[in-house]
Amino acid sequence: MDVALDSLKFIDLTTSSIIFLFIVGFIGGLVSGFIGSGGAFVLTPGMMSLGVPGTVAVASNMCHKFPKALVGAIKRFRYGQVDIKLGLVLAASAGVGVQVGIRIQNIILEAWGQAGSNLYVSLSFVAVLVLVGSYVFYDAVKSSRGSGADETPALARRLQKIELWPMMTFKTANLRISLWFTLPVGFATGMLAATIAVGGFIGVPGMIYVLGAGGLVASATELVIAFAMGLGGTINWAMHGMVDIRLTLIILAGSLLGVQLGAIGTTLVREVMIKIVMGSIMLIVAVSRALALPKYLAQLGLMDISPERVSLMDQTSFVIMCVALTLGAVIILGAMYKAIRANAKQAAQEAYTQA
Amino acid sequence: MAQEVTKKQALLRMAGFGVASAAIYGAVFQHANALTEMFSRGGVYAAMPIATVFLVSYVHGGFASNLWSALGITAKSPAKTAQPAKTKRPEVRATLNA
Repeated sequence: MDVALDSLKFIDLTTSSIIFLFIVGFIGGLVSGFIGSGGAFVLTPGMMSLGVPGTVAVASNMCHKFPKALVGAIKRFRYGQVDIKLGLVLAASAGVGVQVGIRIQNIILEAWGQAGSNLYVSLSFVAVLVLVGSYVFYDAVKSSRGSGADETPALARRLQKIELWPMMTFKTANLRISLWFTLPVGFATGMLAATIAVGGFIGVPGMIYVLGAGGLVASATELVIAFAMGLGGTINWAMHGMVDIRLTLIILAGSLLGVQLGAIGTTLVREVMIKIVMGSIMLIVAVSRALALPKYLAQLGLMDISPERVSLMDQTSFVIMCVALTLGAVIILGAMYKAIRANAKQAAQEAYTQA
Repeated sequence: MAQEVTKKQALLRMAGFGVASAAIYGAVFQHANALTEMFSRGGVYAAMPIATVFLVSYVHGGFASNLWSALGITAKSPAKTAQPAKTKRPEVRATLNA
């Protein structure tokens, strides 16, 4: 029996849209498995460009995000990279951050309408990504010139020395810090997740520079936070009937392949690669979102710009976003390929020496 | 663990999980419209998409994991734990504080 779907809510799937979603899912999964987050910022606008309504795109994306994060977290747990306790502690405060983020969004929506809300989201994107992305990239370049090994950042060292009850020990992250210092990191992660859908852009740098976790543990632990927040968000969206299971399953088919490859990649390349990939993606995405600002400023009557130019900037913005994700994937795959070749060469040399 | 299996075992598991994954995807997309409509009714029906993605993440995730193992793309240091190194306690010796 064939059932007709509500055409306002669910799109007709074509071969090209299936291939597009599968490929973006794979690349997004690869980046997520490697740096702990990413992919969502291309998937949601990508689905919307296919004609999927915004709420269905967000809900279907979230419904694929939490199982992907679960599979990635399990894989990286096996490599000893996940600090479950740290992930759950941060996820708890992130939950509060999500609620506050949604509340702020609603206040802005009521006061300035959809254009004001979009402007707020884009401004948050640009501000956070430029500030945090620049620092991550600067630190990555600095580390790559040195030994490439992670040293505890100065801020984290200072905070770890403050004995403020209750102190918590995170064994896998190999750090001891007051619970109070974990709260703002989790809260900001949740707020960013509610605003721009990629909490990891605050969560991972926060774990590294504020709490003092290594890049490997931070990116792996972010998957636990993404799982917890994604599951909570999906329950909410699914109860409102917004999940398009077809879109979710197509993206999941690609992302489960990608997330495992990304997780394997973390064991093959130097730890500093995580920061390089994350910093590069954040800075390019910031440029992409900056191009979206004039449209919303014009809608609010704060800027005068022609519709043709707005349309061109919109398209350029989306292309740059895809470039950011693809560049991240290329860096990861390139680094993995080099590492696999070096390992094979070393194994062949050892076999030759033994013979 | 996936890292400990041989390529042959990975290939067999990949085939098993692959068939199961294809069966799930085939079944869902055979009745895509009916299931999409049912899964988006909201309320208690929310459990359906969530249960489906959990099932797919296990089956298709198993396929993906074994696919990379079968292709020889495996982790460099499996089961590496970042636990702090345990230091051996010094032996207790009787000392004379004379």
